[in-house]
Amino acid sequence: MFGDLRRFDVGQPQGLDWFRQWMDEVFPETAAADIRSVPRGSYPMINVGRTDDAVRVYVFAAGLTAEQLEVSIQDNVLTVSGKREAPDVGAEGQAARTDFRRERYQGEFSRSLALPDGLDVDRTEAHFRDGICEVRLPKREELKPRRIEVQAKNAS
Amino acid sequence: MNEVTRRNDAREPAKREEQKETLVPAVDIFEQSNALHVIADMPGVSRESLSIEVDNNILTLEGEVRLDMPEGLSAIYAEVRAQRFMRRFTLSHEIEADAIEARIENGVVHLVLPKKETHRPRRIDVKAA
Repeated sequence: MFGDLRRFDVGQPQGLDWFRQWMDEVFPETAAADIRSVPRGSYPMINVGRTDDAVRVYVFAAGLTAEQLEVSIQDNVLTVSGKREAPDVGAEGQAARTDFRRERYQGEFSRSLALPDGLDVDRTEAHFRDGICEVRLPKREELKPRRIEVQAKNAS
Repeated sequence: MNEVTRRNDAREPAKREEQKETLVPAVDIFEQSNALHVIADMPGVSRESLSIEVDNNILTLEGEVRLDMPEGLSAIYAEVRAQRFMRRFTLSHEIEADAIEARIENGVVHLVLPKKETHRPRRIDVKAA
């Protein structure tokens, strides 16, 4: 799937974030963007894929546990929210600490995305592993691809 | 500047290609009196797919995103578009490279880079004359 993703030109590689954000400010994009799209590098990042029988949403939420991530669906809009705490280094550490880089997101977040129509929201499942939450939204029966028998028409 | 870039291109085309397909993990780096800490976000990387190397004072953090994806999955929307995380740092000489410790939990790597004994702060007792 990731091989495929390179076809989707949704932006520059992550390393160029600062440059892209600066460019976005100086030269605002005039092309229509998804109404819920966010600047690159937001937390958590989200991938969405589709198979014949389901839509799968991957939330790249490093550092969270299953309990800390809340996934909800309302009116076909999927919202993931939660809070990522600052890493715990102990009271002693906090006092004598010099920061050199702070790139990791901290604090509360909430991201929403519009789902395609025709999903069976009641049968949604979500699994969490190694910092990625996978949400599986099955398609409703009537939307799955179906083979149609072609019948020969009898000349009457 | 353009000329310099072009020359690099010609010399290491393979390397540049590789860089395009890797993600740069976001990191926090901070220093305490006895050690430097590096915390990196690498979602989808497990203990088995993570590799940390120190070679010639360069610390390389590399990991592969392992996702169980079903056959025939096609992308609708994608923000993460590579399968590998990689980032390099140059270590300074006061780091004890042999004593570096790492752990990974929920896709977050925490590295502790201890300083050499000689570079730790020391308290000096002032004696009464």
